[in-house]
Amino acid sequence: MSESPEPRLLSGSAATPPPSRPSLLLRLKAFLGVLVSTRLDKSGGRIRQLALILCLAYAGIGAKLVKLGLSSEPPQTLKVAADQAASGARPDLLDRNGQVLATDVRTLSVFAEPRRIIDKDEAVELITAVLPDVDAKELRERLSSKKGFVWVKRQVTPKEQQEIFHLGLPGVGFVPENKRVYPNGPIGAHVIGFVDKDNIGIAGMEKYLDQQSLTDPHVAGFTVDPDSLKPVRLSLDLKATHALRDELEAGLEKYQAKAGAGAIIDVNTGEIIALESLPDYDPNDPPDMTKESSKDKINRVNVGVYEMGSTFKAISISMALDSGKVNLGSRIDARDSLRYGRFTIHDFHATHRVLTVPEVFTHSSNIGTARMALMVGVQGHQAFLRKMGQLDRLRTELPESAEPLVPKRWTELNTMTIAFGQGLNVAPIQALMAVAALVNGGHMIVPTFLTRSEADAMASSHRVVSEQTSESMRYLMRSNATHGSASFANIEGYYVGGKTGTADKIIHGHYSQDKVFTTFMAITPADKPKYLYMVLYDQPQAVAGDGGYHTAAHNAGRVAGLLIRRVQPLEGVPPASQFPTQPFPLLAKLGYGFDADKVGKE
Amino acid sequence: MWRILHILAIAAVIFSAAYVYSVKYQAIYASEQVVKTRHAIAKERDAINVLRAEYAHLIRPDRLQALADKLLDTQPLALNQIVKAGDLPLPAAKVDSIGRKLEALGLGQSATPSAGVTGATPALR
Repeated sequence: MSESPEPRLLSGSAATPPPSRPSLLLRLKAFLGVLVSTRLDKSGGRIRQLALILCLAYAGIGAKLVKLGLSSEPPQTLKVAADQAASGARPDLLDRNGQVLATDVRTLSVFAEPRRIIDKDEAVELITAVLPDVDAKELRERLSSKKGFVWVKRQVTPKEQQEIFHLGLPGVGFVPENKRVYPNGPIGAHVIGFVDKDNIGIAGMEKYLDQQSLTDPHVAGFTVDPDSLKPVRLSLDLKATHALRDELEAGLEKYQAKAGAGAIIDVNTGEIIALESLPDYDPNDPPDMTKESSKDKINRVNVGVYEMGSTFKAISISMALDSGKVNLGSRIDARDSLRYGRFTIHDFHATHRVLTVPEVFTHSSNIGTARMALMVGVQGHQAFLRKMGQLDRLRTELPESAEPLVPKRWTELNTMTIAFGQGLNVAPIQALMAVAALVNGGHMIVPTFLTRSEADAMASSHRVVSEQTSESMRYLMRSNATHGSASFANIEGYYVGGKTGTADKIIHGHYSQDKVFTTFMAITPADKPKYLYMVLYDQPQAVAGDGGYHTAAHNAGRVAGLLIRRVQPLEGVPPASQFPTQPFPLLAKLGYGFDADKVGKE
Repeated sequence: MWRILHILAIAAVIFSAAYVYSVKYQAIYASEQVVKTRHAIAKERDAINVLRAEYAHLIRPDRLQALADKLLDTQPLALNQIVKAGDLPLPAAKVDSIGRKLEALGLGQSATPSAGVTGATPALR
């Protein structure tokens, strides 16, 4: 009865329904009739009502805005905090053939929001029951802090994650994080480096990447999209690096050495194909380098500085040859020991006769080399060593580098001793760079750990010795392999050239006779070098059958031989079936070096 | 007349509103699907990454070397085993030894027709 279909607004209109029960159709018709009525006298009320509704709506919106503005807690803090704390993505590191050296794997980390945890003691108890390696006391402290976001444990296993999830604790959650993994373990570890818990590079090429600001995700306040990161290709060859490490390790054990290191460089591009330093570490579980116990795990090729011994004679002789003071036919008096003040310079393998320059090299005559350096003089010697990069810190992409130890007062005596490798400590990579420049035609190319083309290398290089001097050095190294101390590395088919270096170590201020530092440098092929091998051992011992010798030829030289045998085929170089027909054309024109094999024959 | 037009207009509004409403929900559903698919892609990508890392871990040279030493009875490659393809000796010329024997016995041409005549497999060289 009271069900009037008319809205209040339209009361008193003409469409009053009959008191009797109207049919549904009629009521609908009446309702629609009023609804769509366009009579002007009804509009005023409608407009007022509409305005009222709109006012209410706007008042509601305004109230909500005031409420949002007054609320102290900014929304989405958790997301921001998690993004800032979580490890960012890093580009993959690949070797020169595209094999993975380092990559990111997505893992989950457990975090907590202390303000949202109701019962902290219960939470600590339950969490430590699932994650036994989390310290309960420390966790309680962290959970009692006022922070909005704390880590419980980084990078948990899927099983742990499942268990934490089933605890159902409010205020405990998971964030996906990137965990850096090094699938090859310690192979190439010193070059690759490692990262800390937050995926920030702290050593090796990992640190270099961050220094290039390619990766640091937290600085700019945005996260790096992992897909936008291009993998970085290093110059290392994983297989060659493994071979180097394997042979070095075998040698380390065989010769009971304290440490060993080695490197292979492409002399035409400056790319480091392999670099190892033993003892080393697994970058998946990096050592704390600040600790004393980790000191022997340094990268000896880049960070260690050593007296390189006779390998330095290559530099000294090339200096003398390049200055024009001597040529390959010159004769150097090595009949008697060389006296300077109260010092006397002896030869290890004394010949007591006048030697030709190639003989000085193959007999590794200290006297002969010292005399040649004196011909050039102190000034010339210093200038040449500086040109060869031996007196300044060599910086490569690796953040680790070392300043060479240069004598403060440089007298003629210093020049004499430095000429045969005593009194100047350099990083082995500096010596490697210098020898590479001496044999590649005289182009000084800074070593790199990234891939580089020959054209780029040539563009950034500069000439340090003449083409002819370089060819002379190749000839000398070749003759040393056939008739000198480098014969252990003379692998048939690869036309190897080499130079040994044995430096007595300084123990308590005196040169020790039985503690030595041995180095070996080998080039293949000697007529047109492509690879330069370097092997060094710290305090190797003589093994049975070597007649008590612990000199470089017997340890570093042997290992280099094994290495060449193994790595050359890996690099796609088959052994040549015959010797090159004219290995040293410039020398042949001058009348020398028709046959490297004749040198040194008495 | 006007009433009918009004009714039609209201009906059109209601229908279009309902249509817009359904389109909106379809759009929301589609964008949810997009997000879901993106998540699935990201998940797959992560899985691929894990597999790549695992694969790299499994084919690391020191592991392969240890396995080869243990399980294979092969020797390390010697340098004299590496030969360039061009240095390989050519196969020796085919010799028809039976034919020669027959010839030597004096049965040569007459008894067995030559290879060329019968169309038998021609000699390679």
